[in-house]
Amino acid sequence: MAQRDAERFERIVLPHLDDAYTLARYLLRDEHDAQDVVQDAVLRALRYFDGYRDGDARAWLLAIVRNCCLTWQRRHRGDRVTVPFADEVAERISDPRETDALAIQRSDRAMLERAVAALPTEFREVIVLREVEGLSYKEISDVVGAPMGTVMSRLARARKRLASALGIDAREAS
Amino acid sequence: MRCADCRDAITAYVDGELLGEEQRDVDEHLASCAECRSEYDIAAETSRTLKEGLVRYAAPDVLKARIRSALAQPSAFEPPVPLPRRSWPRLAAAGFLIAAASSALTFSAMRPGSTRRAATNDILASHIRSLMPGHLVDVASTDQHNVKPWFNGRIDVSPEVPRLDSIGFPLVGGRVDYVGGRPVPAVVYGRRQHMINVFSWPTTDASALAPSVSTENGYHLVHWRNGGMELWAVSDLNVAELRQFIDAFSRAEASPER
Repeated sequence: MAQRDAERFERIVLPHLDDAYTLARYLLRDEHDAQDVVQDAVLRALRYFDGYRDGDARAWLLAIVRNCCLTWQRRHRGDRVTVPFADEVAERISDPRETDALAIQRSDRAMLERAVAALPTEFREVIVLREVEGLSYKEISDVVGAPMGTVMSRLARARKRLASALGIDAREAS
Repeated sequence: MRCADCRDAITAYVDGELLGEEQRDVDEHLASCAECRSEYDIAAETSRTLKEGLVRYAAPDVLKARIRSALAQPSAFEPPVPLPRRSWPRLAAAGFLIAAASSALTFSAMRPGSTRRAATNDILASHIRSLMPGHLVDVASTDQHNVKPWFNGRIDVSPEVPRLDSIGFPLVGGRVDYVGGRPVPAVVYGRRQHMINVFSWPTTDASALAPSVSTENGYHLVHWRNGGMELWAVSDLNVAELRQFIDAFSRAEASPER
């Protein structure tokens, strides 16, 4: 590949590294695994770059990252115990210098992270792509390779689970 | 609009994915149906909570550095090479780095050899290998008080791990690697997108040796000797900044802050 293509790759694909890493962090629930998989995904993207024409570079990269995450999970299933976010979160909560309001805010956030981490992958990925990365249904459908109707119904079911895990359904109904 | 149709449309309504007409239908229905309205409130509140509460992560500098150095390899655009050394299935895509390392070795091996030559080969290969996914550090920490004790029990050499972040060389971590057939500590520092590996091991040669720079395959290697230790640093950082690093490192090494 020519130097110009390398520059084009850096210009078009690398700006989406934060999004790629965010998706991998949520899917793999581990900082180091996420780094390894994103690096692998970017290098794969580089090799497939010939096949990339114009279009949504972010969705294109995220689709590769997602596939690499799923492959990684299949290979490493059960070979280690991951404690998603919990240690990090517990550390933050137990900081005695924190004010009560901040501590409550943090414990809300911890609960939110746990609730999302507990979702099955197919729900978690649509939630992250929609609520964190702000993708449209069309883009999500491209990333996860499912029709838009499926994306919508997964989002609906994922939000229902989260609403009940976070007590939002009870609060709103009262 | 019937309630059942409204419930089906609520998710897309919350996400602003409905067309104008559909959206107006839902608007009208929600204005007159308390049950659907409550369903909508729950979905909207859940979405808002997630949008506000979930963290959007930034790709760490170490990751960016690893990607940039991998992209800088001329063979990065070529198909993956099968791994000749060990089975690292998840690292298959990084095979080209090993290929780069081994071609560096082959190239060097054809020249007149010496122990210094062999050390250079190992150090360069180790540096390149360290840039592969998952190989940079075994202990990742920006705190010297985590990195230094980590080597205890893993290796009989206790490397110097000075703090250099105040002058722009943050500590990244450490690992054990092989140079000249024996395990040696590698301490890793960062500078923007660049990584610096520092290797050290004891020597019987008591004379001091001022740092000297050589360049191999685009990487700079610096060798010096001090206080009965052989020290090597390797990086693709420019020579001027690398010298600045070595200068600060060896000064800190001579007068360790504890």
